[in-house]
Amino acid sequence: MLALHTLQEEQARLKMRLQELRRKLRDVPKDKVPFPVPEAPLVFRGHIQQDREMAKSVISKLQICYPLPGGSALVIFDDPNVAKQVLQQKEHKINVEEFWLRVQVQPLELPMLTTIQVSSQMSDQRVLVSGFPAELKLSEEELLDKLEIFFGKTKNGGGDVEMRELLQGGVMLGFAKDGVAQRLCQTGQFTVPLGKQQVPLRVSPYVSGTIQKAEVRSQLVPQAVLVLNIPDVLDGPELQDILEVHFQKPTRGGGEVEALRVVPLGHRGLAVFTAKSG
Amino acid sequence: MAANEDNKKQTLKECCLDEEFMQDEQNQKLIDEIAKENILLTKEIQKLEAELQEATRNSQINEDIPETKIKFTSVENPESDSQFSNISYSCQVSSKVPYELQKGQALITFEKEEVAQNVIRRGGHYVQLQDVNVKMMAKPVTLNSGVRFQVHVEVSKMKVNVTEIPDILPESQMRDKLELSFCKSRNGGGEVESVEYDKQSGSAVITFVESGVADKILKMKDYPLYINQNCHRVIVSPYTETHLKKFQVFSGVAKRTVLLTGMEDLQKTDEETVGDFINIHFQREKNGGGEVEVVTCSLGQSHIAYFEE
Repeated sequence: MLALHTLQEEQARLKMRLQELRRKLRDVPKDKVPFPVPEAPLVFRGHIQQDREMAKSVISKLQICYPLPGGSALVIFDDPNVAKQVLQQKEHKINVEEFWLRVQVQPLELPMLTTIQVSSQMSDQRVLVSGFPAELKLSEEELLDKLEIFFGKTKNGGGDVEMRELLQGGVMLGFAKDGVAQRLCQTGQFTVPLGKQQVPLRVSPYVSGTIQKAEVRSQLVPQAVLVLNIPDVLDGPELQDILEVHFQKPTRGGGEVEALRVVPLGHRGLAVFTAKSG
Repeated sequence: MAANEDNKKQTLKECCLDEEFMQDEQNQKLIDEIAKENILLTKEIQKLEAELQEATRNSQINEDIPETKIKFTSVENPESDSQFSNISYSCQVSSKVPYELQKGQALITFEKEEVAQNVIRRGGHYVQLQDVNVKMMAKPVTLNSGVRFQVHVEVSKMKVNVTEIPDILPESQMRDKLELSFCKSRNGGGEVESVEYDKQSGSAVITFVESGVADKILKMKDYPLYINQNCHRVIVSPYTETHLKKFQVFSGVAKRTVLLTGMEDLQKTDEETVGDFINIHFQREKNGGGEVEVVTCSLGQSHIAYFEE
């Protein structure tokens, strides 16, 4: 009797596990998704699996913004060795006619993404709207507003829109309530008023991503020197000149300056860095 | 009389035993059946688990990003306070779509889409490879889907993460001790705006009033926390927020790359040599070709080729 009872319990457990796995498998996006997604032209450039150093993703549009406080300056030297030399002294005394300006110098380190792990899954609450004609003359904000208005109405099969994002070749809409996304995907085709036109659009399931791991490390900018705590005794253009002269003096370990930007006291600046191409 | 009763009892007993025996037999049958079903279920579960693992692995982007050289571009005016309180990093990541190039196949990428389409339209091509003439078929490449997304990271200039805080005081008291220690400028601290303390994990987030204090503190790996007469070293690390934006699946379409088949008999030949001959052949306009960017062959073994934007 006991044996039978145990086996029956085990079967119930196994059946539940099977159901759970079937559900999970359904939610994981396959290599070729069974619903329409925007196309992207791709090219083979010779990268095959043996090339272990080559990354399996392309990184582009890299941008880092670094806040510069008032009373600071950013110096970019041609030669990174010059920057290294300048940084050997933590404090610099800059000669201005009869007096001296005392400033601090510091190396510049920027955060860089070194590892990224993203997993994707079918979304229950989001949809992809696509099929926009190329000649559509709406701004991003206008387009998103009009779509939110249309798909926010229950009479159109929609519901409260919680999230919206413009993508390449489509718009993602996220709904607050369950079931709205499924309903819209089942209908599939909609005619939406966008400005003067009635545009036929398609609604399909959306695959969303989640960051599983993101590692950020500090990377030194070898040619850069941050000048801090500059006393407020000179105005912008004058200060720029004085600093350029000082940091180009080879007797003071300086050298050719590629760029020098001053942020006067009372102001704030954002230094923008991008990836070196080639 | 007694004998009869005894007999009855005996028969009854035997009847009962028989019934019990039949019951047991039925039970055993049921047990065997269920045990068999369970084995089948377990097998199916194992199959699905393997499928799920494979599918999940394929739907993940797992990338170690190589060091990128940075250059200074400009100094702008920060538009908002939040832009000024963080160092912000952003980039776009696009997955390369893998394609399995079977033995006896080659991929050729042309500079012009038009040339690629013409080569496909022509279908069969007779290509001279040293001393043998091979008939190759040009076909379009069917690609899987890839993903594209943006990563945004904000490293705070006003907050620091604190960990390894000893669990020796009640919550409210520890919060005060943290504030007192982190506002001491002689230790590198500064005026504290707020403290979030999680007693259970021994961690906290300290927000300072002024930007720049966080940088100073982070130059050291740890910081002194004073409790009564004792000094505990707690670990400090940057407070970072990471966001994913514009995540999207795209369907790969090869417009300038063509698949060439028909080289199954060349398995012993050197892939590079064959590649060169194919390149020369399809470079010529009279062969229906044009400027060739790249050619790769799979002869003795298959290769995984990566397509990118």
